[in-house]
Amino acid sequence: MAEEEHIISMLVNNKPGVLSRVSGVFGRLGYNIKSLCVAETTNPEISRITLTSIANSHFTEKVAKQLNKLVDVIDVTELKPATSVEREMTLIGIRIDKEKRAEIMRAIDMFGCNVRYMSDNYCILECVGETEKTETIINYLKPLGIEEIARTGIIALPQKN
Amino acid sequence: MKKSGAEILLEALSDSGVDTIFGYPGANTLPIHDGLRSGPIRHYLMRHEQAAAHAADGYARATGKVGVCLATSGPGATNLVTGIATAYMDSSPIIALTGQVTTTLLGSDAFQETDIIGITLPITKHSFLVRDVRDMKSTIQEAFKLTTCSRPGPVLVDLPRNVLASSCPAGEERTYQSTPKVSNGIGDKDDQLHKIARALNQAERPVIIIGGGVKLSNACREITDLIEKGRIPFVNTMMGVGSVHAANGYNLGFIGTHGFELSNRVVHQADFILAIGTRFSDRSTSNVDAFAPLATIAQIDIDPTSVGKNIKTDLPLIGDIRKTLKKLIPLVETPDRIEWLSRIKKEQETTEKRNCYKGCGEPGRFIGMVQEAMPEETTAVTDVGLNQIWAVRSWLPKTPRSLLTSGGMGTMGFSVPAAIGAKIGVPEREVVAFSGDGGFFMNIQELATISYYNIPVKIIVFNNSHLGMIRQIQDLFYDSRLSSCELGNHADIVAIAKGFGLQAERVAVEKPEEGIDKMAASKGPFLLEVMVDPENYVYPIIPPGRSNMEMIFGRSD
Repeated sequence: MAEEEHIISMLVNNKPGVLSRVSGVFGRLGYNIKSLCVAETTNPEISRITLTSIANSHFTEKVAKQLNKLVDVIDVTELKPATSVEREMTLIGIRIDKEKRAEIMRAIDMFGCNVRYMSDNYCILECVGETEKTETIINYLKPLGIEEIARTGIIALPQKN
Repeated sequence: MKKSGAEILLEALSDSGVDTIFGYPGANTLPIHDGLRSGPIRHYLMRHEQAAAHAADGYARATGKVGVCLATSGPGATNLVTGIATAYMDSSPIIALTGQVTTTLLGSDAFQETDIIGITLPITKHSFLVRDVRDMKSTIQEAFKLTTCSRPGPVLVDLPRNVLASSCPAGEERTYQSTPKVSNGIGDKDDQLHKIARALNQAERPVIIIGGGVKLSNACREITDLIEKGRIPFVNTMMGVGSVHAANGYNLGFIGTHGFELSNRVVHQADFILAIGTRFSDRSTSNVDAFAPLATIAQIDIDPTSVGKNIKTDLPLIGDIRKTLKKLIPLVETPDRIEWLSRIKKEQETTEKRNCYKGCGEPGRFIGMVQEAMPEETTAVTDVGLNQIWAVRSWLPKTPRSLLTSGGMGTMGFSVPAAIGAKIGVPEREVVAFSGDGGFFMNIQELATISYYNIPVKIIVFNNSHLGMIRQIQDLFYDSRLSSCELGNHADIVAIAKGFGLQAERVAVEKPEEGIDKMAASKGPFLLEVMVDPENYVYPIIPPGRSNMEMIFGRSD
């Protein structure tokens, strides 16, 4: 069966142990979590979890039903890329060799990354965008000397009228 | 007026209707045991925490009320795990109370500390760690709500010792904060109900599959009404057995890997199946791809995860079974169904000839004799293995909560402690536990509990000196290469029972009359050891991975 990326967005009680209950559902059903982002909403007692997983078409039904059974889960929805806004932020730590310096600077300019830290031979870039853009940047910079990266994973909200 | 956490706990339990706790003390639960001395709740000191969990489960299954077990932190809590998992698989409402180390020591690998909430995450409906005495009352109330609501199941409450010991001034108790769930997307039930009714009325060969959910929803009267009004033949899953009086003319028996030939054959021929309160577990369907190939399948269940979980359902309806059936019955017509019913009748005649004593041999005859000798309202509790299949096939339950068995988890050692819970829950009913020699030894220590409290349960131990079902499977499907299935006959079970203070007798399964009479006449706890030929298997049986139609009737097949 064809596998594709699914984005699940849920509201949960902001309490200790809730994340392990949520992630346990994925593990027990044999799905790997590709990315995961958790933070408080405007109500500090409720957090939003946005996560992505690559799976077949049974995934959403199976997972959503099980997640809905958890006492601490308030809402579960799958977000479709066509009808939602998705973003992810990436920090890229890159070693700056003298001979590659010009090329790195050109890339920063071309992709519209922000430079958040710069020393003589190391810088940390910030880039925000959809996954596709992030991956293009990473692929471009990789041969130029990426030392470390940290990605937030996708966060997303549905479009509304 | 200040009350301690333990006092608040016991009061909240009492207010929720708890009269009995099955437990075992340890350092971290002593504040509770201190409080139990003066309170209205009876505490039964079991001889192992696993048995406390099974007893609470047996109590819940027999009464329909919530069963409560109590264990200390660390090993006490981990010993509950098998019992909690057993209750979880069969949707039995129990509350497991566990002691925990003082909150400041949590996570420090303190003496007898274990993360029991982490350990039990996949086998509880929910769990709570009470970190503040002000939350004690509301947490217990919430635990009771959760264990019985929707699909019942175990809830664990972890109780640190300092929270039990600290006091809470009156009026400072906090309410439980919860945010209501957003709609879970269940569609229009009435529309679906009409579709199911139409499909049922138009079906030529309908069959109802009754699962354990029917009893849990207290829908036994409604299901009987539906069956009789619609003249619909029905089969049970193992957990569904007993929902309808066994002698009901539409009863075809239980289905699946160890089920009856007739029920499996009829389901295979059905053109419409109405499955109620069952998840189509692999034990019921065997090879799911070949299950009921001709049938349109409708499914009613309160738990959305059970619908479409193991089998694709054409007409799913998520809702309370009792309420749904009440609405469905008026929509159901009463056709004559002559063709279908007479076809089943013919099947019945052929299959009965082939399956003497319901395919159980002498033990089947014996169980019939036991039921005959015991009062009408006797509860049977089974263990797991051949004894379970013999009992579920041969015991004919006349009321819903009179056959208790570990269906989903298949827990050996269940019968004796669950029988204790069932007897304490409904003291006016006789309780007979059916066990094999394997499962009996797994919780044999509970004979001490039975003896100490003089709990008048009857225990039947089928002794074939083997793990009978393992032996049967190895005999049939491993070319008779027997391995690790012989228990031998070195222990004198009758002498052991007498040593614990029980009356006990030994009989051969072919000549059990005298033993049965003595057991039925005894007032106190009684053990009857029944010697059975190790090759007395159950037939038919379905080989692993095969369909319900690929039944085997003997070694030569």
